[in-house]
Amino acid sequence: MTRQALFRKWSVYALALLPIWLLDACILNRYPLFGIRPMLLPLAAVTVAVLEGSRAGAGFGLGVGLLWALAYPSGTGIMVIGMTLVGLLTGAAAQYALSQSFLGCLLCSAGALVAIDLWRIAVRLFVRSAGWASMLRVAAPEILYSLAWTPLVYLIFRAVCRRVGGTRLA
Amino acid sequence: MKDFFRDNGFWLLLIALLLSILLGLASVLLSGSTDPLSNLANTLTAPFKNGVSAALDWAEGVYGYVFHYGELEDELSSLRRRVAELEEQARQGEEALKENEQLRRLLELREQRKDFDFESAKITARSTSNWESTLTISKGSAAGVEAGDCVITESGVLVGVVSETSLISSTVATLIDTSIEVGGVVTRTYSAGILEGDFDLMNQGLLRLGYLPEGAGLVAGDEVLTSGLGGIYPAGLVVGRVQGVFNDAAGMSRYAIVEPSVELDGLIEVFIIKDFDVVE
Repeated sequence: MTRQALFRKWSVYALALLPIWLLDACILNRYPLFGIRPMLLPLAAVTVAVLEGSRAGAGFGLGVGLLWALAYPSGTGIMVIGMTLVGLLTGAAAQYALSQSFLGCLLCSAGALVAIDLWRIAVRLFVRSAGWASMLRVAAPEILYSLAWTPLVYLIFRAVCRRVGGTRLA
Repeated sequence: MKDFFRDNGFWLLLIALLLSILLGLASVLLSGSTDPLSNLANTLTAPFKNGVSAALDWAEGVYGYVFHYGELEDELSSLRRRVAELEEQARQGEEALKENEQLRRLLELREQRKDFDFESAKITARSTSNWESTLTISKGSAAGVEAGDCVITESGVLVGVVSETSLISSTVATLIDTSIEVGGVVTRTYSAGILEGDFDLMNQGLLRLGYLPEGAGLVAGDEVLTSGLGGIYPAGLVVGRVQGVFNDAAGMSRYAIVEPSVELDGLIEVFIIKDFDVVE
C-alpha cells in the first residue's frame, strides 16, 4: 500500500470517528438515560481493531485515546496508553482467538468496557474509601448501555472497512 | 321642470326648511348621538359603502402589486431588517436585564459578606463521565484561583470546590461529586454533619449529609448550609434542602439525602471565593 493510499484510508476512518465523537460528547452527554451516559470512544477503538487487526487497532486506539484525553473535560494522559492497549489486545483477540465479526466485536467491546471500569474502580478504591457496591452500580449500567451502541458503531466502521479497509486502496 | 318649480317651488323650500329645522332640533336634543334620520341612512347605505370600499382596496392592492412591486420588495426587505434589529435590541435588553438582576443579587451578597473576595468566571465545559461531576471554568491560577476555593452562584448557593487549576482555567468538583467533603449544618436544628458526594446519588443529582448527631430531628425540607467548621470553606453558603432521612446499612448512624439548590445544568456564570474571614 502506498503512503498516499494509507493516508487516505486512515483519513476516512478518522472522518467516520467524527459523528461517533459528536454523538458521544454533544448529544448523549446531554441526555443521559436514567442518569447514565454511554462510552462510545472505546467501542470505536475496539471495532476498528477487530476489523483491521492488532497493529492497526493499536494505532487507531492511540488516536482515539488522544481525542479522549484532549477533547474531553476529564481527559487524562492515561487514556492514550489505555486506548492503545485496548486496540492492540482486542485486535489480537479477534484475529487469533475470536472472529473478525460482529460477535467478536461485541465480546471484545464488553471486555474493553469491563477493563476500563475495573481500572476506574481500582483507582477509586486506592485513593479514597468508596464502596465496591456503589461503584458497581455505576459501572454495570454504564457497560450495558454502552454495549447497546455497539451495532451502530460496528455498522459505521464496517461500511468504511468495506470501502477502504485492509489493503483495498493499495 | 320650470312649471314644477313654479308650481311647487314654494312647497319644496318649505319642506327643506322644515327638514332643516327638524334635523337642527334633533341634533340639539340628541347631542352626542347621531340623529335618527342619519342613523337610518347610515344603516341602509353601510353595506354598499363597505362593498365599494373593499373593492377599491382590492383594486388599489392589485395596482400597487403590479405597478409598485419593486417598491414593495424594497419596503419588505427594509422592514425585515428593522424587525431583525429590533429583535436583536430586545435580546440585548433581556440579557442586560438578566445581568442586572444577577449583579443586584451579587451586590446584596457582597453587602452581607464583606469578607468574600470574588472572582467571576464562565462555565466552559461540563464532565461527560458517569464517574465524576465536574465543571470547567474560564479562570485559573493567573486570576488567583487556587485548588480548594469555593465556587458559588450570585445568590450565594454553593456550586462546588475548585479541584485543579491551570493558568487560564480550573476544574470545579460540583457538590454532588464523590470527591467533595464539606461541613454542613441544618439551619432549623443546628445539627452539623459532613456533606459528601455518593456514587449512588450522583447520577440523580443528590448528595448525602452524613455523620449526623444522635437525635437530630431532621425533616424533609430543612435547609442545609455550609458550617464553616475547620475554616477550610466559608460558613453560611446555601447547599440545599433535606429530601429524606435514613439509617445507614449497619443501623449505627443516620444520614440525610440533600437536594442541592443549585441547578448545575443551567449554570452559565459562577463566582469563586478566593478569600474569606474564618469565623471560629
